[in-house]
Amino acid sequence: MLINDLKSALRNITKNKFYSFLNIAGLAIGFAAFIFIFLYVRNELTYDKYNRNAARIYRIESDFTISGKHDQFAIVPVPMGPALKIEFPEVEQFCRFVNAGNELFKYKEKEFYEKDFYFADSTVFDIFTYRMLMGDPKTALVEPYSIVISQTIAKKYFGDQNPMGEIIEGANNDKYKVTGILEDIPSNSHLRFDALLSGTTIAAMQGADNFNSMEPIRFWNIGVYTYLLLSENSSMQAIHDKFGDFYAKYMKPVGDQINASFNLMSTPLLKTHFYSNLSGDLPKGNLTFIYIFSVVAVFILLIAAINYMNMATARSAKRAREVGIRKVAGAFKRQLIGQFLTESVLLSLISLVISLVLVYFLLPNFNTLSGKQMSFNIFTNPGLILIILGVALFIGFISGSYPAFYLSSFLPVKVLKGSSAGGARKGGLLRRILVVFQFFIAIVMIIGTIVVSSQIRYLRDKDLGFGKDNMIVLELQDTSFRKNAESFKKELLKNSNILGVTNSTGIPGDNSWIQVVKMEKDGQMTDHAMILALVDYDFVKTYGLKIVTGRDFDRSMGTDAKEAVIVNEATVKQYGWTDNPIGKKILWGFELDGTGGRLLKVIGVVKDYHFNSLHNKVEPIMLFLTERPRVFLSLKINPEGMDQTLKYVEEKWNEFGAKRPFDYKLLSETWDTMYESEQKLGVIFRLATILTIFIALLGLLGLSSFIAEQKTKEIGIRKVMGASLGNILGLLYKEFIVLIIIAFIIAIPVAWWRLEIWLETSFVYHIKISASYFLLAGLLAIVISLITLSYHTIKASLGNPVDAIKYE
Amino acid sequence: MIKTVELTKVFRTDEVETTALNKVSFEVKEGEFVAVMGPSGCGKSTLLNILGLLDNPTGGEYYFLGSEVSGFTERQRASLRKNNIGFVFQNFNLIDELNVFENVELPLIYLGYKTNERKQKVEKALEQMQIIHRKKHFPLQLSGGQQQRVAVARAVVANPKLILADEPTGNLDSAHGEEVMNLLEQLNKNGTTIIMVTHSQRDAEYSHRIVRLFDGQVVTENIKEQFAL
Repeated sequence: MLINDLKSALRNITKNKFYSFLNIAGLAIGFAAFIFIFLYVRNELTYDKYNRNAARIYRIESDFTISGKHDQFAIVPVPMGPALKIEFPEVEQFCRFVNAGNELFKYKEKEFYEKDFYFADSTVFDIFTYRMLMGDPKTALVEPYSIVISQTIAKKYFGDQNPMGEIIEGANNDKYKVTGILEDIPSNSHLRFDALLSGTTIAAMQGADNFNSMEPIRFWNIGVYTYLLLSENSSMQAIHDKFGDFYAKYMKPVGDQINASFNLMSTPLLKTHFYSNLSGDLPKGNLTFIYIFSVVAVFILLIAAINYMNMATARSAKRAREVGIRKVAGAFKRQLIGQFLTESVLLSLISLVISLVLVYFLLPNFNTLSGKQMSFNIFTNPGLILIILGVALFIGFISGSYPAFYLSSFLPVKVLKGSSAGGARKGGLLRRILVVFQFFIAIVMIIGTIVVSSQIRYLRDKDLGFGKDNMIVLELQDTSFRKNAESFKKELLKNSNILGVTNSTGIPGDNSWIQVVKMEKDGQMTDHAMILALVDYDFVKTYGLKIVTGRDFDRSMGTDAKEAVIVNEATVKQYGWTDNPIGKKILWGFELDGTGGRLLKVIGVVKDYHFNSLHNKVEPIMLFLTERPRVFLSLKINPEGMDQTLKYVEEKWNEFGAKRPFDYKLLSETWDTMYESEQKLGVIFRLATILTIFIALLGLLGLSSFIAEQKTKEIGIRKVMGASLGNILGLLYKEFIVLIIIAFIIAIPVAWWRLEIWLETSFVYHIKISASYFLLAGLLAIVISLITLSYHTIKASLGNPVDAIKYE
Repeated sequence: MIKTVELTKVFRTDEVETTALNKVSFEVKEGEFVAVMGPSGCGKSTLLNILGLLDNPTGGEYYFLGSEVSGFTERQRASLRKNNIGFVFQNFNLIDELNVFENVELPLIYLGYKTNERKQKVEKALEQMQIIHRKKHFPLQLSGGQQQRVAVARAVVANPKLILADEPTGNLDSAHGEEVMNLLEQLNKNGTTIIMVTHSQRDAEYSHRIVRLFDGQVVTENIKEQFAL
C-alpha cells in the first residue's frame, strides 16, 4: 500500500511541475530559514553553557552610591575577589580578568595590535572550562610574564611552528613566555579573549604588596571583571545577606570619609549575556530579537505550509475525478487520506533535502552576517537533525491534513457526473483566511523592517552635537611620545590640509574617566561622581562644540590653565546652575580627607553633545586643561587629498620617533561600529522579511494561476458579453486586493504596538513611528502582489473567447 | 445585414491542417430566421463563431452591417459584438457564481448602462422569458430549461439586432426545447434577425430558410418559404 501511495505521490508531483516547484521552493526556503534562525537562537541561548561549573559561577558587580547618586558597573575593585574568598566559605574560588588595552604585540617580524588580550588569575582554569591543547592548566598562568594563546593567535604569530616556550613581546618591551595553547573560545561566550596573560605580571609590575593590598582605599577604585565559583550547595544570596559585615570591615572607613557607600551585585554566569545593564559591560545579546527571530522562524514555516494547503485544496477539483474513481474502485476514506498524506509528507521531505543543501552552502555567509561561528554538522550533532526531521514531518502532516480530509470526503456520484464537487467554492473561505494571514505576517514584517532601518539611519545621521566627519584619531600609546604631543601637534598644523588638532584624554565615543569631584550645589561643595576629560585649548574648536554661555578656553587668559573648566548643559541642569553657571566651583583631585586638589571655576557651557554612544542619555561632563600628557590626538582634516594628508601625518609620526607603527581611526567609522549589532540584526531582519514576502508571493502565484485557470470559462463568457481587458483584469485583481487590504488593516495596530514597545525599551533616542511607514508597507504589498498576479491574469484575459468556451 | 464572400477558416496545429470552412458565401437579410444544418464536424460552429465576431476568418470577406470586419482586432470585435449581437449556447454558459439577475445584467454592465436602467431592462427581459420569479437564484439551482431561458433573456436584454443560437435545444428535453423555440420565433416576429445552428429537423422547421453545410461548404440553400403551400 505504501509503495503504491509513494508511486502515486511521485507521479503526481512530477505531473504538476509548476505547482510542485512552487511548493517545494517555498518549503525548502522555509526550512532553510528555520534552520538558520534555529542555529542562531540556540547559539544565543546557550552562551557559556559549555562550562562544566556554569551553574555555580557568578560574576560580581559594583553598586556605588556617592552623595545619593547610584552608579552601577560590571567591574569591581581589584581586591574584592580575594577578600570575598577569605571572608566567605561559600566562595570556592575567584578569578579576575582585565583587558590588556589595545597594545602592540610582537614576535620576530610579526606585530599586531591586540584588543582581546586579557590579564587573568591562574585560577581561571579552575573555574571556566577551556580546552588546553598544550601546556598544563595548573601552572600555565602562575608565573609572571606568562601568556596562554588561542589556536588562532598561535597560527597568526607562529604559523605551523610550535609556540611553546617562545617569547612574545608586549607593551614596554615586556616579554611574555608562551606557556599554553587553548582551543579557540566558543563564539557563544560572553567574555571572549584571544590570549590570557598571567595576572601575577601586574603584581610584578606594580609591586606585589601594592597589588595584593587590602587597604580600604584599594576597595574604592574599580578595575577588574571578577567571577566567583561557589562551593557545592552554596547560594550567592547568602553572600549578599552577609555583605554588610564585609563592607563594615573592609570599606566603610573610607566610604564614610567620602560620603559614599557600596553594595555588591551579582549575575549568574548563564545570565550575563542577556540580563545586565551596567557601565563598562561587554557587548550583550538582545532577548527581544531572539523572541522576534524565533517567532519569525515559525511564521516562515507556517506560511510555506499554508501555501501547500491552499494550493492543494484549490486544485482539488482536478483530483475530484480521481477520488471518485478510486472510491468506486473500493477505497476507504482512510486509505485515501493515507494516500494524500503520503504525498504531502513526501513533498516535505524532498524540500527538506534541498534545504539541507542550501544550508550547507550558505552557512559561511550566514556566519559572516551574524558574526558567529556556527556549524551544522549532522554527524557531530545528531540531535539537531532529528529536530529538523521532526519539523519536516510535522509540516508535511499538517499541511497535508486539511486537503487530505477534504479530498477524501468527495462523494463519487457527484464528482463523476461532472458537477463541481461544490469543493472549490466551499474551500474558498478558509483559503481566503489563509491568504489574509500570510499577508498579515508579511506586512507586519515589512513595517518592522522599515522601522528598524529608519531607526538605524536615524542613529547614524543624528546630529551628535560635534563634528564627526573628517576626524582622524591617533592613540598615543607610547608614554614618551605622549610627552611630545604639543610639538607633534605644531608640526602637524603646518600642513594646510590639517584644519585642527587637539590632545585629550577622552574623545566623543570614548569617555570613560569617572572620578569623584566636589561640585558646588546649593552653596555647598558636595561629592559627586563626574565624567571628565582633560583637554587642551583647541578641543572645543576642533570638535566644533557650541558654546551657549560664557566662553571657550583662551590662551591669553593666564588663569585658564589652572582654573578654567567648561561643562555641558546637562551639568547645569543637574546641579541647579541654570541662573548663573559662570563662576560655579568644582574641586578636583583632592585627597581622601578633602584637602588639596585643584579648584576650578566654570568659564563656559557647551551645548550637550553625545560624548558617549547614543545608547546612553547625555550625562554631565566637565572639560578642563592640563599639562599632563593625554592619549588621544584628534585631527580635523580637509576631505580633499586625504591620502596625501595621511601620508604627511605618518611621516611626522615616524619622525617623532614613535615606537609603534602608525595607526589611526576614522571617528565616523568608530561611531558606526557602535551600532554594528543593530545593523547586523537589521540586515538579518530584512533578509527574513524578504524571505517571508517571497514565500507568500509564491503562494499568490500558485493561487492566481489556479484561479485564472478555474475562471477561464467565466472569462470567456464575459468577453463574449463584451468585457474589455480592463474589466477582466479588474475582476481577477479585485479578489486578492481585498484580502490584502484586510491583512493590512489588521497588521497596522499589531505592528504599531510591538514596534513602539521595542523602540521605547531599546533606545534612549529613537524615531517616532509615522503613518507613512504603514502606507509605504501597504503600497509595497499591493504593488508586488499585483505584479505577481499579473502574469497569470493577463495571460488568461488575453485568450480568445472561443477557446474559453469550447465544448467539453 | 450579413454577407460573407468566400469565407475560409483553416486551423493549423503543429502537424495537421484542417480546413473548417471552404469559401463559404451567403447572405442573411434583416428580419430573417435562418437555420444552418449539417453533420458533426462540418463547420457549423466555426461559421457561427465567425459570424458572431468571436473568431477571425483566415480568408475571404465578412460584411457585418455594411462594414468589412474580417481584419478587426479583438477590441473592435468586442465593441461590435456587445452592441449588436446576442448569443445563446447549447450548454447555456451562465456564470455559476452570479445569480440570474446578475447574469442577465452582464451585457448591460459592459455597455455602460446605469443601475436603474439596467434594473428596468433586466426585469423586462426576465418577464418576457417568464423566469422573473427566480431572479435571485443561482444557475445551479435551476433546471436545464430554466437556465436556457435565462440565457435567452441575457441574449435579448440589450435589444440586439442579431441573435446567434448554437444548438439552443441540444441539452433540453422536448417540452422545454419547444418552449425555447417558441421564444425565438416570437423574437423573430418582433424583428430580431436570428441565425441558428442545429441538428434537429424539428427546430429547423421554425426558420424561414435552411442552409446546409457539408465539409465546410454550402451545399444547398433551401428557401423554405418558396415551397410553402
